[in-house]
Amino acid sequence: MNVFERALRNKQLVAGMVLGTLVLLLGIIGPIVFGDYAKQDLLMGHKPVGTPGFLFGTDALGRDLAARATFGIRISLVVAVSVTAIAVIMGTLIGLIAGYLKGTVDTVISWVVDFVWGFPLILVAVLAAASIGSGLLPVILAVGMVNTVAIARVVRGEVLGISEREFVVAARAGGYSTPRIVVRHIVPNVIPVALVLSSYYVAVAIIAEASLSFVGLGAQPPLPSLGQMVSDGRNFLRLNHWEATIPGAIIFVMVLSVSLIGDGLRDLLDPRLRTAVERAVSK
Amino acid sequence: MIAIVKRVLLTFLLLLLSSLAVFAAIRLSGGDVTAARLPASATAEDRELFREQIGLNKPILTQYVDYLAKVAKGDLGNSLTNNAKISSLATEKIKNSLILGTAAIVLVFGIGIPLGMMAAFRRNSWLDTSISSASVAGMAIPNFWLALLVVWLFSSSLGWFPSAGQGGFKYLVLPSIVLAAEGIALTVRMTRSAMLENLSQDFVRTLRASGLSEGRIYFKHILRNSLLPIISLAGLRVGQIVGYALVVETIFGWPGVGQILVNGVLRRDYPIVQFFSLLLVVVVTLGNLAANVGYTLANPRLRK
Repeated sequence: MNVFERALRNKQLVAGMVLGTLVLLLGIIGPIVFGDYAKQDLLMGHKPVGTPGFLFGTDALGRDLAARATFGIRISLVVAVSVTAIAVIMGTLIGLIAGYLKGTVDTVISWVVDFVWGFPLILVAVLAAASIGSGLLPVILAVGMVNTVAIARVVRGEVLGISEREFVVAARAGGYSTPRIVVRHIVPNVIPVALVLSSYYVAVAIIAEASLSFVGLGAQPPLPSLGQMVSDGRNFLRLNHWEATIPGAIIFVMVLSVSLIGDGLRDLLDPRLRTAVERAVSK
Repeated sequence: MIAIVKRVLLTFLLLLLSSLAVFAAIRLSGGDVTAARLPASATAEDRELFREQIGLNKPILTQYVDYLAKVAKGDLGNSLTNNAKISSLATEKIKNSLILGTAAIVLVFGIGIPLGMMAAFRRNSWLDTSISSASVAGMAIPNFWLALLVVWLFSSSLGWFPSAGQGGFKYLVLPSIVLAAEGIALTVRMTRSAMLENLSQDFVRTLRASGLSEGRIYFKHILRNSLLPIISLAGLRVGQIVGYALVVETIFGWPGVGQILVNGVLRRDYPIVQFFSLLLVVVVTLGNLAANVGYTLANPRLRK
């Protein structure tokens, strides 16, 4: 079986991909179809799902929930995915340097990385907001920092293991340069782990952005963050619960899809893990 | 042993550095301090004078040392917004957060481990599938949304529990469940996979061959091997719970450290933010240290 066939048979991966694609499409097309997310009409407030002209209804100020929610998806995905992507690159670099060079460089990097890694993302984001003020920037900084060290930590561990393996020792004995060994022999073996982890970290980042916006420290009005929409809607649960339940459900589906993709990728890309699990399951 | 002592010393050094960093970072927003205390009509000179008088113009390191000296004497400063003494606020807030946090930790392990064991014991059955799916969902559900749903169901509709505030046991139920939800899901997953991994080890085959019953193998040998790493990592759950407490306490109006910190940031009350963020940095660091030491002690292979 090739990778593609195995991927198709991986239920978690397929389910995650389908959900993820749906949300992504909503985020891309939604804001175009539903129009201005800030346009308000106070007399049209608290309309339920399916009101003509408002697919998801309206919020307290009579703004189109569909337009707001789909734009919220954009904000959420841009913050979580793009920042985690940068974090993966930086974290992999740091992990490679620490793991391959070893010695003092490794010791110092590991101290810092281990220390920062222990901090929950939401706490770091709140501290960042305390320092530079509320908004998306503190969330971005916190996600970048915490996810970078998280990736660096695991990549370093992997590199330490790989650089002792025969093929690397052989390449070194063959007189190849360090950059060549790292790029050609070590990096390809590290990428799967970094990929699997990054999908979990995207999930954490989405939740952190939403949570910060929920308590009022993240995206500021009129930007429609999903977390903030839940917060606005919770005062009107009896009047029109959709204002809170729709954005919450969207966050849930986004996080669910990236975690399913992570689980699926792990089984697909990491043969060691897969055989261990299979052996255990089949007894 | 030496490794552990080194780790402890290093942690304290890093703690000192990071608390200095947090202290300095909070001062970046110092411009707003004057807005909290001076009228809008105050001139730029007035504002500068005020900063000078409360010592915000000294070098950060001097301010930090001064602050630590004051903290050592029990003087934590006063809130900017209502002049309350932080030292008298702190005891109450810490007590409340400890109650909520302890309840959550108890739920994390008290519910997570048995469910994970059940899933592993009946692996691939409908029970396993439902427990595993529930744990995937539990990790994906944002806890502020979960909070809203449980309040809607158990408080607004059924009226079983109060939706916010603090009082007796009834007030503790909903916030502690929401705070524990992700930790429970994670513990279920970890327990299940650790038990399944141990099942494939050679010693299990030996035990089976020697005629031990399946139940005995599970509850005595596999469980012990699986739980040690999970429980020794309890310190990591502390860090996670601290992070989520910031949100959960705010939603449920639980008067703890998380709520006062978030409100402090929103109101730009820097003495409050300063003390409670440093407090949480210390708590999280100690939790991680405990996890590190616990994990080393629980794994003979790591004890050099």
